[in-house]
Formats: sequence, structure tokens, C-alpha cells
Amino acid sequence: MGADQSQGPRVIFHIDMNSFYASVEIAKDPGLKGKALAIAGKVEDRRGIVVTSSYEARAQGVKTTMPVWEARRHCPELIIKTPDFPLYRSTSKQLFELLRSYTDTVEKVSIDEGYMDVTAALNGIHPLQLAKNIQRKVLDALHLPSSIGIAPNKFLAKMASDMKKPMGITVLRKREIAKVLWPLPIGEMYGVGPKTEAKLKHIGVQTIGDLAQNNAAALVEKFGVYGERLYKRANGIDHRPVDPEAENTYKSISQSTTLPEDTTSDTVVRKVLSILAEKIADKLKQEKVTAYQTSLMIRYNDWQNITRNQTVKQPIQSKDDISHIAGHLFDRHWDGRPVRLLGITVTALEELYKATKQLDLFSYQADVKKEPLMDLISEMDHRYGEGTLRSASLYKKEEP
Amino acid sequence: MSWKELAQTQATAARILTNALTQGQLAHAYLIEGQKGTGKRKAAKLLSQSFFCQNKEGAEPCGHCRDCRRVNSGNHPDVVWVKPDGQSIKKEQVSNLIKEFSYRGVESRRKIFIIEQADHMTIQAANSLLKFIEEPNGETIAVLMTEQMQQLLDTIISRCQILTFRPLSRQQMEEQLVAKELPRPLARLSAALTNDIEDALEYCSNEWFAEARQKVIQFMEELINQSQSVLLKIYGSFSPHFDDQSKMDIGLDLILLWYKDLMSLHLERMDDIIYIDQLDLLNRQALKSSLQQVTDDMSSVLSAKKRLSAHVNQQSVMEQLVLMLQGGVSNEL
Amino acid sequence: MQDTADQNQETSLAMKFSISKDKLVEGVNHVMKAVSSRTTIPILTGIKINAGLDGITLTGSDSDVSIKAYIPLEEDDEEYVSIEKPGSIVLQARVFSDIVKKLPSDTVNIEADSRLITRITSGSSEFNLNGLDPEEYPRLPQIEEENIITIKTDLLKHLIRQTVFAVSTSETRPVLTGVNWNIQNGKLDCVATDSHRLASRSVAVESAENATYRNIVIPGKSLNELSKILDDNSGEAVSIVITESQILFKAKNLQFFSRLLDGNYPDTDRLIPNESKTDIVISTKGFLQAIDRASLLAKEERNNVVKFRTLSGEVEISSQSPELGRVFENVQAEEIKGEELKISFSAKYMMDALSKVDSQDIRISFTGAMRPFLIRPVGDDGILMLILPVRTY
Repeated sequence: MGADQSQGPRVIFHIDMNSFYASVEIAKDPGLKGKALAIAGKVEDRRGIVVTSSYEARAQGVKTTMPVWEARRHCPELIIKTPDFPLYRSTSKQLFELLRSYTDTVEKVSIDEGYMDVTAALNGIHPLQLAKNIQRKVLDALHLPSSIGIAPNKFLAKMASDMKKPMGITVLRKREIAKVLWPLPIGEMYGVGPKTEAKLKHIGVQTIGDLAQNNAAALVEKFGVYGERLYKRANGIDHRPVDPEAENTYKSISQSTTLPEDTTSDTVVRKVLSILAEKIADKLKQEKVTAYQTSLMIRYNDWQNITRNQTVKQPIQSKDDISHIAGHLFDRHWDGRPVRLLGITVTALEELYKATKQLDLFSYQADVKKEPLMDLISEMDHRYGEGTLRSASLYKKEEP
Repeated sequence: MSWKELAQTQATAARILTNALTQGQLAHAYLIEGQKGTGKRKAAKLLSQSFFCQNKEGAEPCGHCRDCRRVNSGNHPDVVWVKPDGQSIKKEQVSNLIKEFSYRGVESRRKIFIIEQADHMTIQAANSLLKFIEEPNGETIAVLMTEQMQQLLDTIISRCQILTFRPLSRQQMEEQLVAKELPRPLARLSAALTNDIEDALEYCSNEWFAEARQKVIQFMEELINQSQSVLLKIYGSFSPHFDDQSKMDIGLDLILLWYKDLMSLHLERMDDIIYIDQLDLLNRQALKSSLQQVTDDMSSVLSAKKRLSAHVNQQSVMEQLVLMLQGGVSNEL
Repeated sequence: MQDTADQNQETSLAMKFSISKDKLVEGVNHVMKAVSSRTTIPILTGIKINAGLDGITLTGSDSDVSIKAYIPLEEDDEEYVSIEKPGSIVLQARVFSDIVKKLPSDTVNIEADSRLITRITSGSSEFNLNGLDPEEYPRLPQIEEENIITIKTDLLKHLIRQTVFAVSTSETRPVLTGVNWNIQNGKLDCVATDSHRLASRSVAVESAENATYRNIVIPGKSLNELSKILDDNSGEAVSIVITESQILFKAKNLQFFSRLLDGNYPDTDRLIPNESKTDIVISTKGFLQAIDRASLLAKEERNNVVKFRTLSGEVEISSQSPELGRVFENVQAEEIKGEELKISFSAKYMMDALSKVDSQDIRISFTGAMRPFLIRPVGDDGILMLILPVRTY
């Protein structure tokens, strides 16, 4: 998956849409162009907050998460719109389709930003020219402004795209980092949140340069793998490939089996479902993901298939959860004919560390059993900074 | 309806239920299985009355108190009666049933659930029924009815006391009809036509049916007398009475039963005679025809029935039948 | 109010009275709230009218909930009803209510004969309706003076509001769709839970000395309806009667009946933690507003999660959404005691709970990130809200 591309020098673009939601609204209604526009939740509610705003609004002091009433005080002529997520999502889809027309190695990071590895796609074109072409095309086709960062790796490209907005193109070469990157305050470094910022400042790191010239071993000791990663990045080192599959790594996990003989026996069906559920639970655990949807496929002895699914609000991870839901689906939809094959698929997967589960008064004790570990994690966070100790899975994506 | 009456047809079930009632040992759930017309619904109604009646004597409900009357009219708020609407039990009925399982009664904690054609229940309804009968509450009972017990979940069957309702014998049905002061000849004839007591009652109390019987007897009389005007009679009075396909079909059944009587006479099975008040006529005809002749005539009637069901014009079905029964035309025609 | 219907019905079916149209319309409007067109019991499509010696009683019911409206012969020196012959009848609710609203005169005369045919006259208009047999109508519990529990109307409405929001809306455990009432030693304890949060309220009530009721589970739906029909600023008392299958609330000229839920309500006392590792006292309003703001970025399909942690002297509330960004907010606490704590919970459940509390400050007691925590208004021991946290992995 492109890991070998890190062998030679690479050309990585980071494309970042400028105030995406506001831009999409303006593209839809050009009358809004040049006006101070804010997207805010609950407009009718005095306490709604600004989600994003146009540059014109920002110029007047409107900031993200500012309450609407306060934004209006800064900018009385502010136009406020409620978010139209379906529109943003479909626009985003068009954007990435457009980017993929230049190269297949496009990694979607979020609805409005992504990386492109254009090393192989250059064909003699100057990277700066290609970036201009892309920026122009996005503006013409979608009427959306963007900024592009050009660099030999993802981290530098990301830092570069942030430097000139809107409609900027910034090249950040590795030899320039001492001049361009290092003077920046540490809080502006990608990957450094407010808490890490405070901790770094506490040990005297004020700029990215301070971090780059710090003692690597000391950082590792203080911040673990995370510290090492930050140190390398500050020095312009980032081997992560642009991974087009990053977004879809886990789409679904399926298991199915043809029964040794057709059956109408409830006991046989339960047993089979339980075996399938166990295999899926193992796979979920192995991949460190959790699912929100379970579907059951029944094939009858006349080869007719039915597939029925159920979506739940709480993440599913255990064998019992899966076999329970599959059994329930079977009860509801089996029409009594002999069954030839059974299959279970779990979809709507989410990385475990992002998953949340609303605990239940009558069953929380089972979850509490894991609490000592939770305590340890928060204890370590507290003592050594956030991210010191997490489930091993969390490293997987970030590690080269 | 009383338990005593029910005992005449469903002796075992009536005994089980009356014993349980008098000893205060009703089961939590009953499953009444048996064909259509065996009295399942009546038994359920009777059980509901006995369950709520304040003036019952032994197991027998008084039949006229406020509770008994409301069971009859469908207004008793604590009798939850679910009848499938068409092929299946509707979603709204299911959700109402599920709600009722979780609520106490309106007037007391006593409640009775009656579910007709329980085999038509959705899985959801069946599961909530199951939950209900798994956690017995001394004061509520469920009565399920089905014509196809094998379609029910084993888990439900195993938690119910099963009451098997047997179809009535022809004699039982006849006696029940006679007990309702219906004339025996009509009672016997309708009992021969159907094994559903409700249908039989319907026949007996229908003027058309009594007249139909009369028309058939007249028709047979004409045939026996070898009257030349049989066909005229058919046109003039017989056909107008059996003026659609289903009525004509009943007409042919009545003729068929007549020939069966002739056969019974030949075989000296006097108890089987259905046209009990027409023995003279039957005897006269029996003397004139051989057993073989009777058998042939029966096949003629059966093939007429077949033609009728194939939508052959009713008039021509009858014409051809008359010719065959008169012996002028062979069956092969 | 005395309902003499059930005694009179045995002997008398004919009935005749006249009544003030406004009072009749008012009463019909009240009882129509209980009438449903989707009932499976035919008689319940009707309104029962009972003319007793002391006035008129109208009854409407969908079997789950029943409402009786009483119109006295006279009140405040004004005459509303005059009875010529006591009796009862049941009339089709929809038709009857449409008719009475449109009658031309201030007075309405209603008489029913023994064939149940009912004549309604007012001014020059006359309607003849086919009535239904009142004997077919359900028997509702009667008030027995010795077993009455008394509570102030506004207090009753309060405790309904403070508990009913927490009932379950799922049918998987039907008993949780109700609020569990227990009465003992002049104290009424109400508990509702949908298993993710719990609300509990205790109040003093007037009752017979050793009146004890356990496991009285009232459907949440019924309590919401009751709350709607109770007068808002009435300082009057509501009498409560509990029978084996129904609960009856009697206000001045109204009676509200609800069937009870069957089944055993789980013992929730046992599940409420009685120790605490972290205790904070914080302004109810300030905290509620901060949670409300954070909830804007909390996604509903992901349990509305907001994160909460204690800092020195203040608490931090945060939330993030991949699409919208993140929000952090610090709220000053009045007091923080015990271990440091990080926990996640549903913003919705927290807001539901906080909005039911009237006190200025609340005390929140935590025993760990995976265990239920308690919210109590400072200065009011009668209210307890419990929320189960959201587990993060």
C-alpha cells in the first residue's frame, strides 16, 4: 500500500478547503459572496454557536464556537445559516472524485481535506503547476476555494497548506524547515493539542524549533512513542504513506457457512449462529473495531437468499451481542423452510477508541470489571501526558 | 351455552375445564385445538363467563349477570379477544395485545386473553405471549385456539394445557339440532351435508333449504313415476330454486344423498337412511332398480357435480343428468 | 362527588334532566380526552352519562385511562342541573360531543327511554340518538373515604414532571414504561428509570396512619395526561385512591383513572451507590447551559457524548465531532472534593435531569468513570437523579 514509495523522495500534496461549509453555501447561493456568513447550530436559539464562518466574517472577529449573539455583536450584518450536512457530504464526494482523476493515491482525512501522493502522477509537470491546475479545477468545477501544501511528506504538506489561506499554494522543502517551520509557536504544530502544548511549554519548549532541538531520549521518556513521533516531525521526518484505503480500512466483517445438511432445527441454527458470532467477535477484537449494524443472511434449500439487518445504538463487540442480534433476526424473518446456509455480517464499523457505549443500570457491573484498566490509563495520562498509555491498537494507524 | 351442553360434544374438554373451575385450579394457559365448527369459540366464551361470573353455580355461569352479558357482547374490558383480521393478526392488534399483557385489568386483576387462530400470530406477538405465560400470574389466563397445532411454536405448546376438540359425529350433530327443536328430517339431512354445526344450523333454519329438500323429493318422485314431464318440471320449478352454482351444487348433493339412501336400503343398513320420512318412496324405487343401477346413477350425479364445477351451464347439467337418470342415455355419452 | 350510577342502573333505565349547555360542553371536552376511536371494546366508543340525585357525571375511557367529569346541581349559588328522573345512558361519543357543541340554547334537555332511545332538545332543535346499555360500560373503582391519600395539586404536577421523563419508551421491559410509587409512613416515593438514567422523588402525603402501598407502577403516558388535565395554579388538594388494578386521582370536579402496570418493578434502591469518591457542588443553571452548548457538537447517534473532568476549582466540559470540530468550556464549581475524575456521559440525559431541578446549586457525586453518578439539588433531599455514564474504549 505505497509503503515503498517512502524509499525515494516523494511529492505530497495536502489540499485543505477554505471554510468549507461557508464556501459550499456561497457556491449554492452566489448572492452570499463577499458577505459575512456564519454557519451555526440552532439559529432560532439564542445560545446557538458558530460552527464555521466566511473569511469576511472572520475578519470582523467572528470565531468558531462563539455564541451567535456574541458573533452578532462583533459583526451586526452577519448572515447566519443552519448546516446542511447532506449538501456538504455530496459536495465533498464530488471533490474527492475530482482529486482522484489526477491520481489514485488520494487519502481522505475528513470531509474537507485530504492528501495526494503525486510522485508518480507528475510526468514531468512541475509540482507547483500541478497544484495550480488542481486548485483552478476545484474552483471552476465546484466554485470552492482551497489551499494546497506541497512537501516531501504528509506532516510538512499539512503544515504548508495552513500557511497561506485562502487560495494559497505553499511549497515546504525539507531544507527550509529551520527557516519556515521552526520559528512557529509549538501550539501551531499539527498533532499538538492544547494539553500537550501546555506540557511542552512547561519543559521550556516554546517553538517547533525548540522541540526539534530537544533531547530525543528525554522526550521519549516523558511522552513515550508520542514524544518520539513529535520529535521526528519537528525535524521534518514523516514516513507515513498516503493511504487511499485509510477511510475504508474496515468496511465490514462477514462469516458464513453452508450447513452439513438442510435444517429446520432451532437448536442447530442457534449453534451455527453462535459459532459465526464467535469468529466475527474475534475478528473485531483483532482489528480493534466495533460495529453498529448486524445483518443475517439465510439461504433456503431452494437457493433463495434473504438478508435482514438491525442497527443498534450501542457498539457491538462481544460474541453474545452478535449471536443475540442474529438470533433475533432469525426469529423475526425465518419463514420455516429448510435452511441451507447462514451468514452474519457486521457493518458500520468504528475504531474502538472512538466508540462509546451508554452503560445500563442493570448491567453496568459487567463493564465495571474493566475499570481498573481505565483507572490506570487515566492515571498515566495524568502523570505523563495524554496518550502515554492507550490500547495497543491506537498505535497501529500512526506507526510507519 | 352451558358446560352441560358442551359436555355432549366435547366431553373430555368440558370435564377438564369444569373440574378446574370448581376446584379453583385453572391452568395458566389453554390451547384448544380442533377443526372449524367444533365449538372452540363457544368454549372460550363459556370459560370467560365462568371466570368472571359472580353468581355461578359450580362451574356454570349464570348467563345473565353484567359480567356474563358483557362477555357475550364483547364489551367486557378484561376479556382481551384477538381475532385475525383476514389472513393474519394485524400490527395494531399485536401491539394492543402486547400492551394488554403488561397492564393489570380494568376492573380487577383478573384478566383473560383469547387468541383465535393462534398459529397466525406474528413472531413478535408469540414471543411476548411466551414471556407472559412463562411468568404465571395467578389471576390471568390465556386461551389459544388453533386448527393447525403443528404451526405453533413448540415452546408455546409445551406451556399450555392442550384441549383437543373432536369433530361432531353425524349423530351427535343431528341430536344437537333436534334438541334445538328442529325437525328431525331436516336435522339429519343437514348433518349429512356438513360436519360444522354452525353450517348445519344455518341450513336448518333457512327456508330455502327446507324447500330445496322438497324440490328434490318431488324430482325423485317424477323420476320414479317415469313421468314424461320431468324436464318440464326441471324448467318450471327445480332450476329456478337452484339459481346459482353453489345452490345447484347443494341440490346435486341432496340428490346424491337420495341415491345413497337407496344403496343403504339395498344393503339393509336402515340406520343410515337420511330421507327418513320418505321410506315409502325410497322402497318403491329400490324395488325397481338394482344395486348396479343405483351405483351407476350415483356416478351420474357425481359427474354432473364435476361438470358444474367446470362451469358448464346449470341448465344443461340438469338436462343431461335427467336423461341419464331416466336410463335413456348411457353414462358414456 | 358521589357516583350513584351502579346502584341506580339495576332498576332504572329511563332518565331525564336538563343542564347548562356550557357546563355540559366543558364536561364533554374533559372526558373526550380519554375516548379513543381505536378501541377494541365497542362500548368505549361512547360517553356514559349518569344522572344522579346530586348531579351529572360523564365518563369517557379508552380502558387504559378513564376520565369522569362531574357537574353538580349547583355551585356558587348558580344552578347548573335539574334532575327529573335519575338514570344512565351511553351515547356515541363523537356524535354526542359534536351535537352538544352546536346546540342553539343555553339549556339542554336530555331524556332516555327504556328502549335506550335518547332525545336531546335545546331551543327549537331536537336530536334522537340510539343509546347503548349503560350496564355494558366498565365498572370503575369507587372512592372509599377511609383509604384516601391526599396531595397538593402543584406538588403532584411537580413530582410527575420530575420523574416521568425518565421512564422507558421501549417495550422490551414493559414495567419500566411506568413510574413506580411506594407509599409508607406518610411518604410517597416515586422512581422512574429507562435503565440509562433514573429519577426519584420523595414527598410527604396525607394518608391513613398505616397506609402502605408497594409496587404501584403507573404508566408514564397516563401521568403525562393527568398532568395536562390538572389545573395549573390550583392550590387545592388531589385525593388518590389505589385499588388492585387502578389508581384514581380526584380533583374538584374531575376524576382521572389509570390502569396500573403488571409485573414487579426492579429494586432500584440496591443499585443506587451510597458512597462517593468525587463530590462537586455547582450552579445548576451555569452547568446546564454549558452542557447545552457542548451538546451542539455531540452526535445523537453516538450517545450525545460530552466529556467532563474535574480541574482545580472548576470543571471542564468538552465535546467533539469529526465534522463540526470541538468545544471546550470550563465552569467554576462551588466546591470540589475527593479524587480527580474524568467521565463521559450523555448531554441529553444530563440536561433532562438538570432541567427538572429548581434549586440554585446541585451536588454531583461520582464513584468512578464506569459507575452511575448521582445529582441532588443542594438543600432538597427529596430529589435524586442518577445517570449511567458512557463508556469510552
